[in-house]
Amino acid sequence: MRRLAGVRNREIRGVAAALALVAAAALAAAVARERVEREGTVTDRPAQGARDGYESSSACRACHPSEYASWHASFHRTMTQIASPETVAASFDNVSVSDVVGEFMRLEIRGQQLWAEFDDPDRVGAGGGVEPRVARIRRRVVMTTGSHNQQIYWYATGNSRVLGQLPAIWLTADRRWIPRRAAVMRPPGPPHAETGAWNGICVACHTTDGRPRLDAPFGSRPIADQIADTTSAEFGIACEACHGPGGDHARANARPLRRYWLHLTGRADPTIVRPDRLDPRRSSQVCGQCHSFWEFADAASERRANSFGLPYRPGDDLTATRLVVQPTVNLESAAMKALLADDPAFVRDTFWSDGMVRATGREYNGLIDSPCFRKATDPKRTLSCFSCHTMHEDAGDARPLEEWRDDQLAAAARDNSACLQCHDRGPERAAPQERAAPQHVADVDVARAFQARDLSAHTHHRADSSGSVCYNCHMPYTTYGLLKTIRSHQISSPSVKETLETGRMNACNLCHVDQTLAWTAEAINKWYGRPAPPLAPDDESVAASLVTLLKGDAGQRAIVAQSLGWAPAQRASGTSWMAPYLALLLDDPYDAVRYIALRSLITLPGFETFQFDFIAPPQTRAALRVRALQTWRDARASSSRRVDAALLFNPDGTFNAPAVDRLMRERNTRRVVYRE
Amino acid sequence: MLGAGDWGLVASYRGAGIGTELQTNYAQRHLRFGWWSLLLFATLGLTLETLHGLKVRAYLDVSNETRRLMWTLAHAHGTLLGLVHVAFGLTVKSAALDPRALNVRAISSALIAASVLLPGGFFLGGIAFYGGDPGLGVLLVPFGAMSLIAAVFMIARAT
Repeated sequence: MRRLAGVRNREIRGVAAALALVAAAALAAAVARERVEREGTVTDRPAQGARDGYESSSACRACHPSEYASWHASFHRTMTQIASPETVAASFDNVSVSDVVGEFMRLEIRGQQLWAEFDDPDRVGAGGGVEPRVARIRRRVVMTTGSHNQQIYWYATGNSRVLGQLPAIWLTADRRWIPRRAAVMRPPGPPHAETGAWNGICVACHTTDGRPRLDAPFGSRPIADQIADTTSAEFGIACEACHGPGGDHARANARPLRRYWLHLTGRADPTIVRPDRLDPRRSSQVCGQCHSFWEFADAASERRANSFGLPYRPGDDLTATRLVVQPTVNLESAAMKALLADDPAFVRDTFWSDGMVRATGREYNGLIDSPCFRKATDPKRTLSCFSCHTMHEDAGDARPLEEWRDDQLAAAARDNSACLQCHDRGPERAAPQERAAPQHVADVDVARAFQARDLSAHTHHRADSSGSVCYNCHMPYTTYGLLKTIRSHQISSPSVKETLETGRMNACNLCHVDQTLAWTAEAINKWYGRPAPPLAPDDESVAASLVTLLKGDAGQRAIVAQSLGWAPAQRASGTSWMAPYLALLLDDPYDAVRYIALRSLITLPGFETFQFDFIAPPQTRAALRVRALQTWRDARASSSRRVDAALLFNPDGTFNAPAVDRLMRERNTRRVVYRE
Repeated sequence: MLGAGDWGLVASYRGAGIGTELQTNYAQRHLRFGWWSLLLFATLGLTLETLHGLKVRAYLDVSNETRRLMWTLAHAHGTLLGLVHVAFGLTVKSAALDPRALNVRAISSALIAASVLLPGGFFLGGIAFYGGDPGLGVLLVPFGAMSLIAAVFMIARAT
């Protein structure tokens, strides 16, 4: 027995030694790894951490792996990240960036840290150039914004947690740097510093429960005189941004019996908000808390938000704590008047004259002015964000997450099914008040057409054509942001009258880009019985797209430029005539318009390899525009010619230059500044 | 290797304990159970690998992470318990147990119960589940775990 005991002791010692070895190896591995900065020790940038009932997404993962995975793949998560070699889309490995105003921006990686040397944006002169003795600074890049279309980089200024913005941003699709100003719809001008903007503005929506905690609300005092203790519960738009603080939920559901009781009874868990179970109006407000233009009700609200963050929590009434801008409804309110006193061009730059929002990222403003939302009386037939979008990919959706995350559309909302959730019902199944509602006159038409399996009866286009896609007619690409146009989220029907009154291109002419407004008015009158409004001579004789492209403001030009590169428009209207007009826009004063024009131009036959730098100096751009025209002329000689007068060609195929010049002289040259 | 003094224990075990025939029966039973378990759960392992190979979404999708975990646990526990059965069968066969502390019938039953309840509970828990929570079949697991611990305790006491 003693001998057996000896054997056992030796075994125990052996096991203990093995365990000690494993522990030592693990410790050594941990020490050998690059030391990760702990949030508690960070003082030069905003910090994140669980507090006030917020737990962070990591607490959600164990119970909701599928939802966590789809959120993790989303661009919501990566809206704000701590900068590191893994999170930056651009290379920082000893890179010199020339696409900035002034001296090159130099980037480098030191271990896990990213550093940049550049002209101090806060010292750049206001006259369009750089001060003669601009301060050259070297700063650590600590945060990033965005990853889908663009990525913006923020550096630690050295003043508390105040962040400054690098003078160039990374364009994800083009894989190139561009000056910050070229990434937004702004007239030409000097670069502008955005120091402190992250702390004062971005933190509200690009993080979860962000709190600026500046000495005074952003913009009320020079940022250099402010100290910031900016914090957030979690960087990025995380679970709790939409579900509310999850601390109580996590604690309550640590008890398995409670979880299984909820699983088996299917009851709602009162400890957490499920936006998809809210009333459609409240559920849309969850998205609207960020996807809208809004204003503080008063100065006191702004001061409170500066200290304690925005008071809105998912499930609350959004309008109880802020004013959602609706020019058709609340233009005369005290908050709007205060806003307009501060920024008189705000409404004009942000909304079409009929109140439809024209900047992207503010889809809630469009939703609440849509008839499907505004006039709806039945919650089951009320348009909400979740009618089309889903924040977690549906279980049956075969698309990879990388594809789904682009627009986060539900699988069933990618085609006409989205609208047929409601519009497949005839009047006999609608409530009496709905039957009387004007918007449901069209429902009857749509429903009958679908019941007869004859979509063309409603659309007057082939059922399998892009003209029979609900989105294309009722959500055309008339909002702009991030160097592209996206679909309007205010459901509407094509209207020539609205085009005349607002300058907003109608859906018909965004696809039939070779047709006049008169042609559209006649078609709408013939098909839907709406009378044609009186038209100006140009609207009778010149394609609506060209009238807008030549005469419109920068925002309108951007919309037409993108439309000329849109495949359905090219199929419907032909492409042989488009190049000279896109070439004209290659020399547009606005960087954003030039960028979109180039992107459309290279979709045309013969231009696939056309090289053009949209931020090149004006003389270079002019030369390249001439080359684009020459390319068009060369290609056109051998192709079928279109000599329509409506496209401003003479019968002999030459360009009607006087008409083009006349329309350009009538151009709306007002300053256009989008709040993107 | 047993020492000279240990052979006396074996002799007393044979004399006072379960007897050679019964001992052989139990040894055979657990060897048979163990090897068949190994066959079953090795086959399950092969099936799971095939699901990986064919990228079957019902097994590999993130939304099925709980199923993947449960079935992996079923495979692992079933296989290891198969080995435990084989080891127990060999132990009984070699008569290296203290007959005074041995209740081979109880050990045998507990081990078999563990081999059914543990992997079975995990497997059932992965068929239908609730997000990160396994299905109700997983309720079998704690009973299986208690059976296993009881069996191991009884074996440990008898060694």
